[in-house]
Amino acid sequence: MKNRLKVLRAERDWSQADLADRLEVSRQTVNALETGKYDPSLPLAFKIARLFGQPIETIFQDEA
Amino acid sequence: MRKPMTPPMRRYLARFFPAMLAYVGVLFGSLWTIRNLDPKGPLLWALAIAPALPIIAVIAIMGLYLIEETDEFIRAMLVQAMLWGIGVTLAGCTAWGFLENVGLVEHMPLFMVFPVFCAAMALAQPLVRWRYR
Repeated sequence: MKNRLKVLRAERDWSQADLADRLEVSRQTVNALETGKYDPSLPLAFKIARLFGQPIETIFQDEA
Repeated sequence: MRKPMTPPMRRYLARFFPAMLAYVGVLFGSLWTIRNLDPKGPLLWALAIAPALPIIAVIAIMGLYLIEETDEFIRAMLVQAMLWGIGVTLAGCTAWGFLENVGLVEHMPLFMVFPVFCAAMALAQPLVRWRYR
C-alpha cells in the first residue's frame, strides 16, 4: 500500500529513527512502512495519523 | 546501524539463557544418574522426562516473547520465520521418516525435532528480513 510517510517525515525534518521513537517502534519497522512493504495494523495506523494530525486516508492510499 | 534491543527482547534473553543452562545441567544429571544408579519405575520415568522440561520452558519462553513484543512488524517477521521453521521441520521429518523406513538413513531421535525447528527458523530469519529490505 502506498503512503506519504516519507514526505510527512521529511516535512518535519525527522530521521527514520526520530519517527521510530515517536511511534515506539524500531527503525526497521519505519523503513518497512515507508517502502510500502509492510502495512500497519489499525492501531498503528491511527497512531501514525494522530502523530501527523491527518486522517488515515490522506496518509495511506488504497490503490484498488 | 545501531540496533537497540527492545525490552521484550532483553526479557526473552534473560529467560532463555537460564533455561538453556538448566537444560545442560538437567540433561547431564539425568544421563549420569540413569547410567550409574540404574533407577527403575517412576524414578526412571521422572529422570528420563526431566531434560524435556527446560526445553518445553524454552518453547513457552519463545511464545511469551511473541506475546510481549510490542513492535508488530518485528513480531510479524518472527512469525513468518517460525512458519518457515515449522514447514521445513515437517517436510524434513516426513522425508526422513520414509528414508528411515527402508533403512537408507539412521534413526533420528524425536528430541532432535525442536533443534531442527530452531535451526530452520534461524536460517529463515535473514531471508524474511531481506524480503522487507
